[in-house]
This record gives sequence, C-alpha cells and structure tokens, in this order.
Amino acid sequence: MRQGRRWIRLLAIEAGALVFLLAAPRFLERGTLNDIWNVAFAVILASAWNLLGGFAGQVSIGYSAFIGIGAYTTALLALKGVNPYATLPLAALLAAAFSFVVGLPTFRLRGPYFTIATIGVSEAVRVIAGGVSFTGGSSGLRMPAGSFDFNSNYAAMVILAVGVVALAAWVKASPFGQALAAIRQDIDAAEALGVNSTKYKLLVHALSAAIVAVAGSLFAINFQYISPGSVFDFRLSLSIVLMPIVGGLGTIAGPVLGALLVGYLQIKLLSSPGLRDSYLFIYGGMLIAVMLFEPKGLLGLLLRLRRFLWRFPSRPVPDAG
Amino acid sequence: MPADALLEVRGLTKHYEGLLALGGVDFDVARGEIFGVIGPNGAGKTTLFSCLVGAVTPTSGTIRFRGDRIDGLPNYKVVARGLVRTHQIVRPFRDMTVEQNVSVGAHFGAGRRRREDAGRRVAEILEKTGLARKADALAGTLTIGELKRLEIARALATEPETLCLDEVMGGLNPSEIMEAMKLILSIRDSGVTILMIEHHVHAVVGVSDRILVLNFGKPIAQGPPSAVMKDPEVISAYLGEE
Repeated sequence: MRQGRRWIRLLAIEAGALVFLLAAPRFLERGTLNDIWNVAFAVILASAWNLLGGFAGQVSIGYSAFIGIGAYTTALLALKGVNPYATLPLAALLAAAFSFVVGLPTFRLRGPYFTIATIGVSEAVRVIAGGVSFTGGSSGLRMPAGSFDFNSNYAAMVILAVGVVALAAWVKASPFGQALAAIRQDIDAAEALGVNSTKYKLLVHALSAAIVAVAGSLFAINFQYISPGSVFDFRLSLSIVLMPIVGGLGTIAGPVLGALLVGYLQIKLLSSPGLRDSYLFIYGGMLIAVMLFEPKGLLGLLLRLRRFLWRFPSRPVPDAG
Repeated sequence: MPADALLEVRGLTKHYEGLLALGGVDFDVARGEIFGVIGPNGAGKTTLFSCLVGAVTPTSGTIRFRGDRIDGLPNYKVVARGLVRTHQIVRPFRDMTVEQNVSVGAHFGAGRRRREDAGRRVAEILEKTGLARKADALAGTLTIGELKRLEIARALATEPETLCLDEVMGGLNPSEIMEAMKLILSIRDSGVTILMIEHHVHAVVGVSDRILVLNFGKPIAQGPPSAVMKDPEVISAYLGEE
C-alpha cells in the first residue's frame, strides 16, 4: 500500500518535471535553458553513477572514460556523415562493452582493486585519445557544420535525465536492485543466498556506462568541439563521484539534489573569474562536511528536518496514538 | 547408505597456509536425515560447511550432491543446485527490511525461476519462522534470537534440498532453543535434509539421526547419537576427561 503511494508520487513528480522542462523553451531565455541543460547533464551522470556506486557499492573514479567514449563515437561518426542522434545506440553499446575491460578482471576480487583500476584505465584512455591520430590527438575534433540544434539537444538531455531517474527508481525496487543492495551490504552473504555477484556488478556497470556515454554524445553535439582535456578530464570523474555522495548515496533523490547543487555551483563558479580556480577547494570542503556531519547527504539532512518539523504538531495531541 | 545418499563427501581436506583445518573427512548424508556435526572449538566444523557450499575451495577431496561433483563450484551455483548454509556469526543485510532479506533468497536461490510467486513464498517462510510481525523492521534492529531465525528464513527462501545450519541455537535462551528445535524438525518434515553444527550437545542428540564428531579437523566418530556419545575417544576429546 505504502509502496503504491510512493510510486504514484514519484510518477507525478517525474511527469511534472518532464512537462515543465519540455515546455521551458517557450517561456525561459536561452541562458537559463543552458543552465538547465548543464544541470540535466549532471543529473544523468550522478544518477547513472549511483546505480553502480550507490546501489552496488562499487566506487568508480573513472567515469569520464564513458563520457569520452560517447562523445568521440558521436563526433567521429558525424564526421563520416551519420546523423549525430543515430550514433547514440552505438555510443551506449561501445561504453557498455568497454565497462567490461575494467569490470571483468577486478569484480571477482574483493577490496579496492576495482576503484584503483578505474583511475588507471580512464587515465590511459585519455592519454591514448590524445596520442593517436584518428581522434584528432590532443587538439580534438570539431563536429561537422550544421549538426547543431539546441532545441532538440535540450529536449534529448532533459528526457534522458528524467528517464534515468525513473530507471533508477525501478532498478532499486526490482529483484535486480535487491541483489545490488545485498552485494553492497555483505557480498559473501549475497553469494550464500545464490546471488552471482560478479554478473550483477558487470551488468549494472554496463548499464550505467551506456547511459553516461549517451550523455557524452549529447555533450559533443551541444558543444560541437571535444578534446581529451574536456571529455576525459579526471576532475570530471571526481565531480561525478561527488554529486551522489553530497546528495545522498544509494537513494533516488540524493543524486538529483547533489547534481542540482554541484551543477549550479559549477555554473556560478565558472562565471566568476575570482572563484574559477577555487572549485576543488569547495568540493573538498563539501565532501568533508558530508562525511563528518551527515553521511546520508542532503537528502538525509532534509529528512531530518522534516522529522524535526513534524514533531511539533503531534506533541500537543496526547490521544492521537 | 550410498544407495540413496544425497550428499557424499570423500577425503575432504582444507589447508590454510600451514594450518590443517580439515584432514580427510568422509561421510554420507541420506535424503530426509538430520545429520549433526559436533566437535570442540577449532575442530573445522564451519570450514566443513564453507567447503560444502563453495564459499571456500577445498584443498583436495570430492563432494557429490545428488550424484554430481560440486567441489570447486562457486557458492551461488551450489545454492542453485539446492545446497545452502546459514552463518554462525549472523550476516543480515542490515539496511534492508526482514522481508527484503528473505526475498533475496527467494529471488536468487534454487527457486529463482518462479519469480511470480516469490512474494507468497516469502510470506509463508516469515510465518513459519515467526518473523511475520517483524516483516517491515530493518534487519539491523532485530534481537540475536530474531537474527538467527532470519538466517534460517533467508536460507529456506532459496528452496534448498539440503540446509546446513551453523550453530543456529548459539546465544539463545532455553525456551528459544525449544522453539528452534521444533522449527528444525518441521523443516525436516517438509522434506528438507538437514546438516547442523551445534554446541548444545543435548539439542543435537535430541534431533539428529546420525552425528559426526570432528577433532582437529579429523573425523573421530560417526553414527547414531547414542552410540557416538558413548565412544571413549569422543568423551575424552570433546566432552573432557571423566
């Protein structure tokens, strides 16, 4: 019963958000739409990372690799004359395949091997992308002229953002999500109940990578120019980890809240010259604050606030229970 | 015995570095039996269960379950074939509700192909193990007695043919022990073969059809409880000099 009401609420919020975001170009100006685009991009990255990092507890610090794979797949095929939006499925597929490169050798092991491998592999991909000629080397690639249309890119980005949040809610409630939660909490106990932990870790990593790659493709279409420094940036990987942690790890709303905050901050910081270089300092501070004061992140803070506010009206009614 | 043996263990050996945890254990378990495993601390009882389900790989020896070799298979595959264990030190998924804990077993165990009635099976098991009232409680909030029952409930939800119970009565009070013994007998009566490790000798003797005694990783006696408990080697090794 309670479960049903939660689904209705989630669907209502999602439908409302989708309608508002798709209608926004009619009444908001381009600068604001750009900001929404950035936040939607952040929501996708944070929610997709959370499938693996939050639900299954496998921390990857190499997600820029998947953004880059998506962006480069789209740019290279668009230069061959393919419609950029037709490249999205292939971008997703390539990123999912690439996720096995890190997952297959490390998911069988216990301990921090997966996390360490993600750093190494994503850095290797960045160096390779900057060193070989078909990617345009370190100077990057420019999308073909005429492939850009902000309105369709904006629509694709917000639909994907709302869709990923819905997908995350569905995964969390499904047996698949239960297997991931079991793996996060006690991997040996999960195996002892029949959960093939390696398989489910590989699956969720691939799913998550595919989503991030599609966001990377849309990034390439929107910015029209990509380089290893922009899409394979290690700092990008770090901020992807930061958002779900700050917002509330392993929850549905948490990564969205984290993406709203970090995405908004990023826009403000980058537009004020005095603060442009201070963002790592601010991110570090946020991370420390979350770990010290509210490990459940912004969502935990909000829930605590709600419990606090609800206590007052219930107290003067002694016969209520 | 071998004619209808469900589980056949031969020469099962496990070394940890230089330490011998199990040294050549042989036994058979027949379908429908309750088979007790006892022995002093460090005798290798839990290691034996870990080897049976594939949580650790035996150094040598063979394990046959329903006629097929299962030694060397990973734990989740052994569960799929119908052999499951509980943990002596309980390992609940603390951030999940009791019901969710049990449904992991229902969705991924030997009964995983029948997802559509998983909810009903979970409800039945919660009822049977006396956890129905706690279905929506977080596992992290349960008492030790409830956690022990949750271990059994999760394992039962995998729909095992054989259930290995590792000290499910440890830490329970006498009335809880009576309840646990009743539960174990009713599980056996529902057609599940049971292996149980237990410190409470009276409990084991009371419910087991046969008993295996381990000492320093070696089997020192095997047979009906009444005979085994009179064995002079068992008395000196396990129960102390008298």
